Amino acid sequence: MHEIVRKEFREYYSGLRAEDLEIPDMPEREFAFLQFGGEVMIRHMKFLDPQSLKGYIVENTPAHIYHSSAYYKAPEATDMNEKGWLGADLIFDVDSDHIRTECKERHDRWRCMECGRDGTGFPPESCPNCGMKKIDTRTWICEDCLEAAKKEVVKIIDEYLLPDFGVSESDFEVFFSGHRGYHIHVRGGTFRMLSGDGRREIADYVRGIGLDIRAHGFREEKSGILVGPDMKDGGWRGRVARAVYEFVNRSSLEDMRKVVAPTVAKSLYENKEKFLRNISSYPPYWGGLKGYTLESLEKIAFASIKGLTCNIDERVTIDSKRLIRCPNSLHGKSGLRTLRVNYSCIDNFDPLKEAVAFRHGSIRIYVKEAPRVRIGDEELGPLKDKTLEVPLALGLYLICRGAAEPR
Amino acid sequence: MSLMLTKEDLAKYPFLKQSIAYIESMQLNLGDLAAEEYSGILRKALTRIKDSIDRKINPADLSDLESEIISYPLSLALVYGSKSNWLLNRFATIEAKRVEEELRREPRDKLLEIAKSGFSWEIEPVDLRLEWEELPFSIPLQSYLEAATSFNDPHWKLINRYVKGGRVFLNSGSLARLISEGFKTKIIRRASERELHNFRIPEALAPYLDEIQRYAQENMQFDDELPQGLVSDARPPCIAAIMEDVKAGKSLSHMARFALTTFMVNVGESVDDVLKLFGNVADFDEGKARYQIEHIAGMIGSRTKYKPPKCDVLRSFGLCVGMDEFCRNAKHPLNYYRNKLRRMRKPGGQTGARDRKKGV
Repeated sequence: MHEIVRKEFREYYSGLRAEDLEIPDMPEREFAFLQFGGEVMIRHMKFLDPQSLKGYIVENTPAHIYHSSAYYKAPEATDMNEKGWLGADLIFDVDSDHIRTECKERHDRWRCMECGRDGTGFPPESCPNCGMKKIDTRTWICEDCLEAAKKEVVKIIDEYLLPDFGVSESDFEVFFSGHRGYHIHVRGGTFRMLSGDGRREIADYVRGIGLDIRAHGFREEKSGILVGPDMKDGGWRGRVARAVYEFVNRSSLEDMRKVVAPTVAKSLYENKEKFLRNISSYPPYWGGLKGYTLESLEKIAFASIKGLTCNIDERVTIDSKRLIRCPNSLHGKSGLRTLRVNYSCIDNFDPLKEAVAFRHGSIRIYVKEAPRVRIGDEELGPLKDKTLEVPLALGLYLICRGAAEPR
Repeated sequence: MSLMLTKEDLAKYPFLKQSIAYIESMQLNLGDLAAEEYSGILRKALTRIKDSIDRKINPADLSDLESEIISYPLSLALVYGSKSNWLLNRFATIEAKRVEEELRREPRDKLLEIAKSGFSWEIEPVDLRLEWEELPFSIPLQSYLEAATSFNDPHWKLINRYVKGGRVFLNSGSLARLISEGFKTKIIRRASERELHNFRIPEALAPYLDEIQRYAQENMQFDDELPQGLVSDARPPCIAAIMEDVKAGKSLSHMARFALTTFMVNVGESVDDVLKLFGNVADFDEGKARYQIEHIAGMIGSRTKYKPPKCDVLRSFGLCVGMDEFCRNAKHPLNYYRNKLRRMRKPGGQTGARDRKKGV
């Protein structure tokens, strides 16, 4: 990596107030660092206070700075068994890379490393030409991707953490990761001691994995009558009921046909109002339609909840010993800050503006190739093979992304 | 003693705070229990263990409460003294099943009392009446997850529970199951505690430990013996589905490859047989594949023979293709395989292990 990036990072950290590096229960956390150009993580570091952490960072200027989600008796121990696990925050990692957004057509490309077939947009799981899975991707982020990631964050919190898991506003923090997405750290006592298996259940819960609607009150009585939950019910029970209501309410006949047999779709569509009235009465009545069975209801339910499940990197949530970016540290692949987001103002949060760390100065760079990029209020591109003077933050961003070089 | 719990309850539910206190108050010495005057208790303890080996679930014998109460810690000491994980698991499982059956006969308020006395769960009575059912208890999310993540049935997944405000709402049957599973976990966890590592049964009881170990030896073999090589009909649906994909030449995810390879290696397929399986896959590289399979089989590298991932993990990776009857009682693909083989070997089962069908 270019010396200029390291120099600017060092200057940023020198000017940072030590308190900005504070994290709760610091002496119980493991810290880890990745140097510029380094491939080996420097791990098992312990810092008693933000001042000593700052001292280390200014002196060594790493490209990436992490702390453990876990609390340890001896965070400096190199043997995981000797560390003495005391619990861990519950983390949700939302990465815009994993969300299918239309903007990816505009800024992302993929290429099969086997046969050379390439394309734009969200990368296929395996090459459509040769079936191989070695796909090289060149991905970028834009406002639209980050907006989609933000919506996921709001969904996790408003749909699951607050109502279902009973997490209070003071128990979690939201961070912009400094690059592609957001992290939610839940610090309350409830989840702290959860094992990996317990964390998997939490991850599956918000991802909608393993849902069985029959466990939520949908069933066929002996008389053949279909019964089901009330929209006011808690948890997934009420969620499924509300989702079906909304789906049926907004769907065209064509939409319904994609989900259930044509006769069922027709009957449901033609009796839409009656059906909606029935399922919102008390106790709710879910049947009464021709050809309509528990199986068709199941299909409708699963189609209905698609937008309600959360797109998270489940490996992060399941892991009770994860390393996660430190607040206010710089992301070595973007030069942007890992920034705490005030959740009550998240709607107006503009990560590409507020996470900018370098607010003054400019830099002359040679851009190999880049799509349209915005950092702060400055926009650039798409452009190729061009040398130009740009604001420092934008220049460092392109250099960190590997798309430009200082000139 | 609490107003609700009687001496009969102490005999039925050995995990209660009151049961433990009662036994401690008697100040018994383990070695003394071999004496003639306690022979009735000793016999009870031995029967209790042998019954668990035979999977016999008997309700607590309430004709002599004192003997019944003391027979539990004595049988537990013998089980711990055997240092056999197999026996430990079997004993814990059958004790838990017995407790669950007893609990299902208890009224709600008693159930609540038992849960509170036996565990540190902050369980609360609630009056949640849903459209067609009642959920009279709630338990904190974390307690639920600690107790229920060992259940394989999808019915126990958190997502299939009524979850609200950080609590999970339960009916009486579910609470009974949670308590009994919590009891089982207590028995098993205790065995790995440091003070039990050096635990030895007193000399006077040694002949009885021998008797138990012999009995266990004679009756456990069947469980652990797997035929060499794959019996196709006993494959779990997930493994069968991956094999179908392989046959179709589809490219497999890393997890699918790992699951299939570990499964094959663990049911006694050779490296060459496993290699042949993958021959159809589009990006097959024999040298690399052989290396990886040998590594998984523990022939090279860390020398650890890897086991397939458990059902939960396969489910999270989207490799679970749905449950069949055997899946409900297994939380691991190898459990499934073993159970199904056992069923197949029974008279009238589908096929004998000798009718070995190979390949995909």
